[in-house]
Amino acid sequence: MAEDKGIDIGVELTGIRLKNPVMVCSGTYGVGREYSDWMDPRELGALMTKAVTLKPCAGNPTPRLWEVPCGLLNSIGLENRGLKRFLEDDLPWLHEMGLPVWVNVAGFSREEYVKVASEVSRSSLAAALELNISCPNVEKGGMYFSNNPRDAAMLVSSVREMVDIPLYVKLSPRSSDIKEMAIMMQEAGADGLSMVNTFPAMALDIETARPRLANVTGGLSGPALHPIAVMAVWEVAGAVDLPIIGMGGIWSWRDAVEMMMAGAVAVAVGTLNFVEPGAPLGIIDGMRGFMRRKGIEKAEQLVGMARRMEVPRPGGEYEGKDNAGG
Amino acid sequence: MEPARFEAIVVGKRFHGYATELLVEAPNAAGAVPGQFMHIKCDGRDGVIMRRPYSVFDAAENTISFLVKDVGRGSAWLSARKTGDILDLMGPLGRGFAVGDGQRSILVAGGTGIAPLHFLAGCMKERGLCAFLLWGMEGGDEYGELPNIIADRFDLRLSSMDGKRGIRGSAVDLLEACREEGCTALYACGPRPMLLSLTDRARDMGFTLFQVSLEERMACGVGACRGCVIPCSTPTGGYLSACRDGPVFDEGEVDWRRIRESISA
Repeated sequence: MAEDKGIDIGVELTGIRLKNPVMVCSGTYGVGREYSDWMDPRELGALMTKAVTLKPCAGNPTPRLWEVPCGLLNSIGLENRGLKRFLEDDLPWLHEMGLPVWVNVAGFSREEYVKVASEVSRSSLAAALELNISCPNVEKGGMYFSNNPRDAAMLVSSVREMVDIPLYVKLSPRSSDIKEMAIMMQEAGADGLSMVNTFPAMALDIETARPRLANVTGGLSGPALHPIAVMAVWEVAGAVDLPIIGMGGIWSWRDAVEMMMAGAVAVAVGTLNFVEPGAPLGIIDGMRGFMRRKGIEKAEQLVGMARRMEVPRPGGEYEGKDNAGG
Repeated sequence: MEPARFEAIVVGKRFHGYATELLVEAPNAAGAVPGQFMHIKCDGRDGVIMRRPYSVFDAAENTISFLVKDVGRGSAWLSARKTGDILDLMGPLGRGFAVGDGQRSILVAGGTGIAPLHFLAGCMKERGLCAFLLWGMEGGDEYGELPNIIADRFDLRLSSMDGKRGIRGSAVDLLEACREEGCTALYACGPRPMLLSLTDRARDMGFTLFQVSLEERMACGVGACRGCVIPCSTPTGGYLSACRDGPVFDEGEVDWRRIRESISA
């Protein structure tokens, strides 16, 4: 890939330098190896691993997937081989690749999160942690940490005390006030935010009157989630002083640029990886082309660009009959 | 054949009742193994975003074909493709069937489960191996002339639930009626209820090799998302991925009890 003279697509967040702002979302890229035949992971700005739990986790019964218009419902249930295998096999391989790695940490109790996060931090093989707080807290009858800002804040501060690398918290888009949640995460010691996780959702088979997913409910990802994510990033970027990794239905370089203009420092591609392995490379190229066309020298100038407009006024052309568009 | 993502031009199309056979150009397609699948992008219309996996129905030097039954938005789009259209394929993916030297085999298909077994039968014929292909379908006229086309090439026995083609009954009934001596290998692909009754009946029939091709809703196709998993029989439970560990499994690798529970739940 030819480097553009004068265009710097790199970004920096929490002291971590990314050669480009395009990452891959947790759960959509395995631990990197699964896609290594399809694209060189070293081309990515960074990689977020599939969730790691303390013990091996079998995950949910099947079916785990259901496609909906412009979206995908999933309920994988954190299936992974557990911390020990992750530290022995997967993380060293990823470290060898030489790209920054965010390790996604999940758990079913505060102790589990702390144990996993601190061991990953101690391994010195990860650039940062991403805390998946959309997990059931067995100590609170299975209520999600993300449903209760106070529980989530306690979790974040417990983990923060025990780790030496930047701690990102992945926020759920289903929140009565995502700004308040973000502020509480900042106060609890989060170094950054990744947003958004999938939106809780479900679908029914009307022929049998049964849920499409064995787990009944799941999370919605894909293009349907994108505008929800853009608004969440827009709102939170104005409320906290933390770097945001924007994710949710990024399907093109345009979506990536949009997410950065809303306030994200970097973006992560998720469900699109399933459809187009190697999609992040096209997005990186597309962003570079856009910057060239617009005379933008540094990707960092894109971050929050829409927020700096004096009067946020609707832009763009309508593809209706009067414009003879689409 | 190394798995790859490539654009493939549709070079032929045949209608077989409910199923459409699409023939596409694929360089080095001859390297595909029976049981492997192609992950096909079903582009865009009506909000369809995900790929759909299709077992290879046949492969020649530079072409590959699959059978598409119109059962939803993705397959409707796919079966409407015309000669000259371009498809976006990933593949061939997954683990195919294992075939031993000199073995005599019985291949049991239910419905569109004929696809991978048709390809398997072709490869066995090329190797001079003896194979009996048993194919059960719901309605005898569901697949148009395809049964006749296949019967021209292979030893094919048919059954239909309405009795319009072959014996009246299921593919499992065909297996019961099959009196061929010395068959040591059994291969199967079809709907789960059929596979469940097949495994129940065939487990004690003395086959030394018994493999099934299983289907599950799939996203990535490469083992990354853990979406398309199959319950496995290890004592600790757990799952194998249909896309990478399968779609072909040894019968003993699969936890049929959990599969039975999932369809009767």
